[in-house]
Amino acid sequence: MPDATGMRVLVIDDAALVRLYYREALERAGYAVDEALNGLEALEKLLVAPADLLIVDINMPQMDGLTFLRALRGQDGPNASIPALVTSTEAGPQDLAAARSAGANFYLVKPISRKALVEHAALLCGIPA
Amino acid sequence: MIEPQAVTAEEFRRLCEFLYRRTGLVFTETKRYYVERRVIDRIEATGARSFADYFVLLRGDVRGEIEQFINAFTVNETYFYREDHQLRCLTSDLLPERTRLNGRGRTIRIWSVPCATGEEPYSIAIWLLENWPEVDGYDVEIVGSDIDTRALQAAAAGVFGQRALMRLPDDLVAKYFVPLDQDRWTILDDLRSSIRFTPVNLVDSGDTRPHGQFDVIFCRNVLIYFDDASRRVAAENLYETLAPGGFICLGHTESMSRISPLFEARRFGDAIVYQRPREDGHA
Repeated sequence: MPDATGMRVLVIDDAALVRLYYREALERAGYAVDEALNGLEALEKLLVAPADLLIVDINMPQMDGLTFLRALRGQDGPNASIPALVTSTEAGPQDLAAARSAGANFYLVKPISRKALVEHAALLCGIPA
Repeated sequence: MIEPQAVTAEEFRRLCEFLYRRTGLVFTETKRYYVERRVIDRIEATGARSFADYFVLLRGDVRGEIEQFINAFTVNETYFYREDHQLRCLTSDLLPERTRLNGRGRTIRIWSVPCATGEEPYSIAIWLLENWPEVDGYDVEIVGSDIDTRALQAAAAGVFGQRALMRLPDDLVAKYFVPLDQDRWTILDDLRSSIRFTPVNLVDSGDTRPHGQFDVIFCRNVLIYFDDASRRVAAENLYETLAPGGFICLGHTESMSRISPLFEARRFGDAIVYQRPREDGHA
């Protein structure tokens, strides 16, 4: 198991069960996990608590995941380059392209196994396998 | 202090009739002690001087007494992971069948009614997190409903004692609860916010219909308290709130086939589940 101690992940998803599912998998792998219910809340959280990785759902109320990513990537400062793993139930090539152009570093189609989530988190955080 | 003898046979009959009309719950002379004990509690709580005085308060719904009265008659004794063979059936058979029809990303709606103090809907959520690898692939909506508004408040608060948690493995208690004091635990905020709690009277279609249609309904150990007429009304209301092809799970001693011909009985392993037939005629 790669060592993720001290790494912080912000999980951004409007579904409480999904947040809980990801949180549990990531915490078990050693990450410290924070949560946001939509893009707007995520932007606010990042003002006070930095993160090493973002896990971003696309369809969310108030501010969707891609709008959030575009806003974040357009900012000045270190937050603009936090790696982002986008998660969605949409699996079309146009969905992947849209996520890429909004600033996603990786795209995973839901449902995502705990194992795949943790592996990709490690990859994006630069933790050696 | 009001003595039980303060309730005459005629008063007892009027009270049971009132309760039946409001809730569909049937109490007869054999439950006299059970009924009287609760009525005397309510008489004392309201400060009424006699049963006759209290009945005036009740019928006039003074200070919301009807709700308080109904709350006093519900049974809320349950625990986490009760009848877990049905939970197993949910993830091994019912949800795969419901999701096969529609693509990922759609909403899966599950109704726990009556949900009492929340043990069942929270159990469903925990079970899905632990046993359904596709839990993040659908927009899962779990609704918990009950006629007892006091129980709903407790459900939303999410604080449970040892009795409620006795069947839940320790590692799951540690994972999904935070200790509150020596023998009480609070369920995690994300679990609390994943369930919507609403009041409902199963024999009132004006109450059930606004809940929309569900993929799976858990309706365990409540129909046994109804008489035949109310049971049929409740079954029809439940049928309406099931999506075509949706499933309803009853308590293990209950049988829908005895109540209503609307549903098809299906067997999955050791669980009997009732299905609202699909509109295309397939099971």
